[in-house]
Amino acid sequence: MPALVLLGVFMVYPILWSLWMSFQVGRGMNLSFGGLANIIRLTQDTVFQRALTNTMIFLAVQVPVMLVLAMLFANALNDSRLWGRSIFRTAIFLPCVTSLVAYSVIFRSMFAQDGIINQMLMAIHVIADPIPWLADPFWARVVVILAITWRWTGYNMIFYLAAMQNIDRSIYEAARIDGVPAWARFFYITVPMLKPVILFTTVISTIGTLQLFDEVNLITQGGPSDSTLTLSLYIYNLTFKFMPSFGYAATVSYVIVILVGILSFIQFLAARDKRA
Amino acid sequence: MTRIASHLSKTLAVALTGVSMLSVTAASALEITVWCWDPNFNGATMKEAGERYTAMHPDVTFNIVDFAKADLEQKLQAQLASGTTDGLPDIVLIEDYGAQKYLQSFPGAFEALNDSVDYSAFAPYKVELATVGDQTYSLPFDSGVTGLFYRSDILSKAGYEAADLEDITWDKLIEIGQDVKEKTGDTLLPIDPNDAGWLRIMMQSAGSWYFNADGSVNIEGNPVLKASIETYQRLLAAGISKPVAGWTEYTGSFTSGDTAATFTGVWMTGTIKANADQSGMWGIAPLPALDGVEGATNASNLGGSSWYVMSSAPEKDAAIDFLAEVWGKDADFYQKILVNQGALGSLLAARDGEAYSASDPFFGGAEVWQNFSNWLGAIPSVNYGIFTNEADAAVVAQIPAITSGGNVDEIIAAIDSQVRQQIQ
Repeated sequence: MPALVLLGVFMVYPILWSLWMSFQVGRGMNLSFGGLANIIRLTQDTVFQRALTNTMIFLAVQVPVMLVLAMLFANALNDSRLWGRSIFRTAIFLPCVTSLVAYSVIFRSMFAQDGIINQMLMAIHVIADPIPWLADPFWARVVVILAITWRWTGYNMIFYLAAMQNIDRSIYEAARIDGVPAWARFFYITVPMLKPVILFTTVISTIGTLQLFDEVNLITQGGPSDSTLTLSLYIYNLTFKFMPSFGYAATVSYVIVILVGILSFIQFLAARDKRA
Repeated sequence: MTRIASHLSKTLAVALTGVSMLSVTAASALEITVWCWDPNFNGATMKEAGERYTAMHPDVTFNIVDFAKADLEQKLQAQLASGTTDGLPDIVLIEDYGAQKYLQSFPGAFEALNDSVDYSAFAPYKVELATVGDQTYSLPFDSGVTGLFYRSDILSKAGYEAADLEDITWDKLIEIGQDVKEKTGDTLLPIDPNDAGWLRIMMQSAGSWYFNADGSVNIEGNPVLKASIETYQRLLAAGISKPVAGWTEYTGSFTSGDTAATFTGVWMTGTIKANADQSGMWGIAPLPALDGVEGATNASNLGGSSWYVMSSAPEKDAAIDFLAEVWGKDADFYQKILVNQGALGSLLAARDGEAYSASDPFFGGAEVWQNFSNWLGAIPSVNYGIFTNEADAAVVAQIPAITSGGNVDEIIAAIDSQVRQQIQ
């Protein structure tokens, strides 16, 4: 019973209240009911469209890259013949327990115009002039993608690793006796066996990317010229940077809620076991 | 039994006396909490002001809290929106661009100071920025009067003296920049493509803004804005600027000698002078004026901030008295913060003081403060309105188009439509 009350106070009430908020218009605390005004505003909002596009780009590029990397790392580190694999596992997992602020600040300084990345690339003659990592829209997106990939690959790898260790050894032995090559064992045994975990990591990575905020706020502030502005950062700007527009910010938040719902549903459909 | 009772009552009496004495001390000792954002600049001036007030009123102490500016604004906005006043300070520093936004979207959150402060003693444009109806809410503080800071040693290598930079136009500056680049190889200006400050400076120098005096949008068909964007395009095309990302890279570029000049607010003086080894290598000049624009001047503003008292402040009366006593009257105090922190306040009487007429060897013996206060008097007054952040974001979104030499009319149309969309 107390749990229900707590759930009501801290979950149900805020959700209902934010839904009510999303129909309010006005500046600061002077709010009034606006009907569909916020939804109409949403359809005409070019900044929102940019934020949505950027978020989708991050989602479409970063999530597949990260999950494939995590899978490859997990497969390599699952090999019991590999020397020092627990050190590698820790090293790859470590980024996701570091502080968001600390690593963002370090990425920012590493990718500065005269930062260590440019210095290194110039020293080994990959580039002649420093790349304006944070001042150029394309490179700024690359930096954000690198940053979140660095931080979250290890996290997903742990799930895959745990799942791989649950696969019965005898299946691999049988395959080996039948002369199935290593790549085929990976694609036809490991990957299908990991299907539920792959679904799980895809869904949580999708939700995480749709809510992407810290890295873009700390590394690029959404810039240059909105090229890394995400939906969450836009909500933050609407609430804390611009003339506070709480109702409209709530409407944009519900876009994320709906997107998460739709994308998760599609992923569930795609991963559904057809034989069941 | 009675003995025990009397013993108890004695103990109780002693304890009560102790409690009441404690509460007396608590009532007479006040602590005024101040939020500000730069420990070397406004934080340091507030500390100095606090020490002066404590010397006169030993029972009042100050707790000066430094945040990053964006953090302060967001914390303030979040708390005002939540309606929880616990944890808000007594006095808060607010940048002028955002003043009307706070005053109008959180009515009743700030205290009008008309009864305690004589506003005729302050620069009128600063007073106007914090006025809603007939009530004024701020104690006007630092001015953002702008100037051109340059490395006189680098420019002199290219054959330029201070007199060559007096009252010039932007196109003349571009010529100088190209000449400097040719002769010395140095880049003239750092440009942050994520910051529209350069455009705000140019616009205000000709008495224009994103909004009209009545608050309506003034972007499409604004000749000053168009001239500013065109000037900026010429500036970039001339190849005399270096792109930087963020404040640290920006200030780093000219303090390290990577670029030879920057145009910015007077408050940058402290940052520049922090590099004592560059003493004598710097000069200041008035801001260049826009070419062929009606009302173009060589004076403008960037930033600037003022102190506000929160209506919910526990020590509201003491806070108001403190601001009125020190910040509102003490001309001597203003001399001190001018010399120590480079803080050019808005109290008019302070300008007659000695510090203002002193020459500064760091800037080659120029009368830095006298110059800045002369330019201060020439700044065209504009209404920042309540949506400067939104307009700025719309400009920043178009900077790639501006930088790549896009069509100015199309760029302005895009800015206009984004601003109109955002401010509904």
